[in-house]
Amino acid sequence: MKRRSRTRRIAAAAALGAVLVAAVFFVLTAARPSDRVLPTDTRDLANGEVMFHVGGCMACHNPPAGTETPGLPAGAAAFSTPFGTLYPGNLTPDPDTGLGRWTAEEFVDAMTEGVSPDRRHYFPAFPYTSYRNMRVEDLLDLRAYLMSLPPVRSSPRDADVPMIGLSRRAMGLWNRFAFRGRTYEPDPDRDAAWNRGAYLVKGPGHCGECHTPRNAFMIPDDSRPLEGGPHPRGEGHVPSLRDLVGRGRYADVADLTLALQFGETLGYDQLSSGGMAKVQMNLAQLPEDDLRAISEYLLSLR
Amino acid sequence: MKDSKIRMLTLLAVVAAVASITLAAATGTQAIKERQEAMEGIGTAMKTLGAIAKQQTPFDADVVKASAETIANHLNTAADLFPEGSDAGDVETWAKAEIWSDHGNFRKDFETAEAAAVAMQSVTEEAAFGPALGALGNACKTCHDTYRRPKQ
Repeated sequence: MKRRSRTRRIAAAAALGAVLVAAVFFVLTAARPSDRVLPTDTRDLANGEVMFHVGGCMACHNPPAGTETPGLPAGAAAFSTPFGTLYPGNLTPDPDTGLGRWTAEEFVDAMTEGVSPDRRHYFPAFPYTSYRNMRVEDLLDLRAYLMSLPPVRSSPRDADVPMIGLSRRAMGLWNRFAFRGRTYEPDPDRDAAWNRGAYLVKGPGHCGECHTPRNAFMIPDDSRPLEGGPHPRGEGHVPSLRDLVGRGRYADVADLTLALQFGETLGYDQLSSGGMAKVQMNLAQLPEDDLRAISEYLLSLR
Repeated sequence: MKDSKIRMLTLLAVVAAVASITLAAATGTQAIKERQEAMEGIGTAMKTLGAIAKQQTPFDADVVKASAETIANHLNTAADLFPEGSDAGDVETWAKAEIWSDHGNFRKDFETAEAAAVAMQSVTEEAAFGPALGALGNACKTCHDTYRRPKQ
């Protein structure tokens, strides 16, 4: 009799504990809507296009091979990661399968909080962890540019990841750690070009997503920025971007600018592996001043 | 007698196995060497074109045509130098397994590059040179990015 009530008490405590853990998990992983107020003035489409290219949107949001609209970010081509296969979304203004019905607030939340309009977490293969460093003006210009593209109807597909509901939810907890101390601040001691380069590298360019090593929780280690490490997609090694001159990789700012502009075409064939060719081909669309700014910033890293 | 016959057959089998493995490795090695030579030939011609793009040497339609022909020919040869089993050999190769698991698309990338090299052969004006070199370069990059391991 006594024993039975003891077992019952333990069972009740365990059940209560489980409910508590679930409740804490539920609260910690919730997708929180932001209450930001956005500027509503006219947007700069040319700047939006620059953001589109430096952001490398097309590298992942490309349509599957053989579609009729190969140059548009209609998404849905399989993107494999060590955790499962993702099918990036449609960034064209199609109302049903694309961004057509998204509000500006929803777009900015997606880019900076990693949260979809239906308040689910994205997986951080979508680099919102870097995009959250972007100026809100640049985000709105990017949205205006995307909305100016021809709408393409796509066949959206949810990610093929084990325990998808729980996995998505868990990203809320991961974000709480990954978002710490990663907001970009300009350095007043440096000139405008250096700061522009730093912004493009840390914000829209999201270079650190591959070039900064990650810790055991897959969070980029900010104490070792751009030092290189294992390839996040599982194969090979991503080179360090520090001390590029000292290590004999590039002669000077002009050399690196040329490399970013032309890549392998001019013999910089180290830029055509591990996905970097796609990055370089997107960067090639940038104004030369921006490429020089990126080079100036990168070559200042020792 | 019976014993020696078995021994003989075993020996033959071993010799045959070793020979076929050696032959396969040799075929792989041979293909790797030949395609690397072709790629080096392309690299040399690309350097000539790159020097024009960087304006280190003046634009010369004849040089462009000759270089583009060299590249197209090498691409045409190299496309057939990736037989099954040439993923490894006695010389180092950076070929990725996707070349064989995704061979249709791999061949298509080669065709895109060859078409770009053929198109460049009819470039006679400097204004058309940059875009033609861009198209060819992007074809090289796309294929290398997918099918070549980093050389590090």
